[in-house]
Amino acid sequence: MKRRVLVSLLAASMTASMVAGTVVSADEGGDNKLTVWCWDPAFNIYAMEEAGNIYKADHPDFELEVVETPWADVQTKLTTAATSNDLESLPDIILMQDNAFQKNTLTYPEAFVALTDSGIDFSSFAEAKTAYSVVDGVNYGVPFDNGTVVAAYRTDILEEAGYTVDDFTDITWDEYIEKGQDILEKTGKPLLSCQAGESDVIMMMMQSAGASLFDEEGNPAMVDNEALKKVMETYKTLKETGVLTEVNDWDQYVSSLTGSTVAGTINGCWILASIQTAEDQSGSWAITNMPSLVDVEGATNYSNNGGSSWAVTAGCKNTELAFDFLKSTFAGSVELYETILPSSGALATYLPAAESDVYAEPQEFFGGQAIYSLITDFASKTPSNNTGVYYYEARDAVATAITNVVGGADIDSEIQVAQETVEFQMG
Amino acid sequence: MTKGKKILAYGVLIIASFISIFPLYWMVCAATNTSLDVTRGRIIPGTHLIENFKNLVSQYNVAGAMWNSFRYAIVLTIISMFICSLAGYGFEIYHDKGKDLVMSIILLAMMVPFAATLIPLYRLFSKVGLLNSAIGFILPTISTPFLIMMFRQSARSFPHDIIEAARMDGLGEFQIFIRMFIPTMRSTYAAALTITFMNAWNNYLWPKVIMTDKNSITMPMLVANLKEGYVTDYGMLMLAVFLCTIPTAIIFFFLQKNFAEGITGAVK
Repeated sequence: MKRRVLVSLLAASMTASMVAGTVVSADEGGDNKLTVWCWDPAFNIYAMEEAGNIYKADHPDFELEVVETPWADVQTKLTTAATSNDLESLPDIILMQDNAFQKNTLTYPEAFVALTDSGIDFSSFAEAKTAYSVVDGVNYGVPFDNGTVVAAYRTDILEEAGYTVDDFTDITWDEYIEKGQDILEKTGKPLLSCQAGESDVIMMMMQSAGASLFDEEGNPAMVDNEALKKVMETYKTLKETGVLTEVNDWDQYVSSLTGSTVAGTINGCWILASIQTAEDQSGSWAITNMPSLVDVEGATNYSNNGGSSWAVTAGCKNTELAFDFLKSTFAGSVELYETILPSSGALATYLPAAESDVYAEPQEFFGGQAIYSLITDFASKTPSNNTGVYYYEARDAVATAITNVVGGADIDSEIQVAQETVEFQMG
Repeated sequence: MTKGKKILAYGVLIIASFISIFPLYWMVCAATNTSLDVTRGRIIPGTHLIENFKNLVSQYNVAGAMWNSFRYAIVLTIISMFICSLAGYGFEIYHDKGKDLVMSIILLAMMVPFAATLIPLYRLFSKVGLLNSAIGFILPTISTPFLIMMFRQSARSFPHDIIEAARMDGLGEFQIFIRMFIPTMRSTYAAALTITFMNAWNNYLWPKVIMTDKNSITMPMLVANLKEGYVTDYGMLMLAVFLCTIPTAIIFFFLQKNFAEGITGAVK
């Protein structure tokens, strides 16, 4: 009996110590410490840490803690903290997807700190990019990574069918489809793959003409939207001719690129990182601008998909420090961008960095093209669009519509349904 | 059973087991291949295991996440076993109308999805300073209606005569529970332990919300982090998934006989 008591006591004390040992003291943090949430170790975490090192060189007391937090988690935690009115638990700086920026700042205005008077010079960023994080004329974000759209092609496959990448530069979607059919016939490979049920391609086409799913007041503007109708028609033709092939998920999409089952892709320039994992394809890729819409006012060959910006939250204990940190790194240090570009491909939207020699270096993987200066050039020509609070809802509605259209439904009535869906969700 | 029927039965079983086993096989294979091989659909084992492991360990604090997961899951399992079985036992052995009503209310709570209580819980925990703590992780799931119900159901098959006999022999009520009930209900405990450990180990939403400190992350959170970048290293990801699967698999294999008995409610 005695032994049993002893054993139970031991077990109890072990349990107690295990629990006690884990009560991590809430992060007090000195006045010189900033905590940041972002998500990609090879990309934005790396960039943030480099920024920390640069800032530390001039401010030896400075401390930076980067907490790896996937974007979906950032959104969940932000929503939880803001709706339960517990902003203290937010870190000092978070990285936010551009498409979610308006939604979050409009829904939880108290969770963010305005940056307009922080001394950061926003004119040194591409205007279309900065527009994502401006709400009612107030800046809430420091633009970071670039989502400029590139069209990447497999030059070896194009060559097989008698084309070069120049044949795909400054073209329209009609020409794209025509050449795509020819390539499909000669090589058996579609020009483009995308995830079924996702509206990335649609949204890229829309923005290339500066068109949005919402009007200036934030009301849904899909019905009678000439650009949207044209985009839907183009997508349908792409699918019907076999120039576009739909895959089930993101992993299959990446595998269609690395596995040589398609002859190219059109996406935000961040896709190049995935393409470059196929080292054996080095030298057989090239990039150019995307096709433009036909008969649509304001159509261009440039667009944007994704990208993110840094925001200072209301949980920041030392906003002066956060302002100064951002001002002297992401919004003021060409050196930072020169450091992070070669090893991470982290392409900036900070314009002065584009003039750096590092950006003009030819890239072997892309047959010696200076892709970074090309992309920065595309970025400066990209028309801005209006995301609004219900951007994601509208995207989803459009994705449903396009799935039905491809299945044979009437375009006008599907657009009508999509608009009604969004209006219903807006309440 | 005729020969034809037998062949059909085995055929169906073979297909069913293939469908269940293949994802696991693929996970193990992918963990030994490079990311590129995985995306190209290679389904035979490769030679990249050690490299994937080196990458994983050098980029992520796997040991820390494992330790956290183990610590939270073990403590939660032990405490919740005790509390839920005691409650289940009490509800069945001493039951009266009032307790039945309380039991019904507890069962009703089973219908409330966790997501619905997330924000109030978060508010509560943040007010009392339990964010980033093991207690914060454990408390919301320390007693679950499902486990209480499971123990109550199995206590139903626990012979009341034994209790009477034990009382005659002078055992106190709590001692009856400890010395008579627990040893008899071993298989129920095994089933409950497997379920609780697995749920605690796989718990994602709640820790994701309250663990804001990078030193408190658990294995499922680490796996989620691996999928987030612009480029996913599939080999490394699958290795992490594999590592994350091992503990629950081991526990299940050790206790599977008891588990099956516990679920069907057998008493020896």
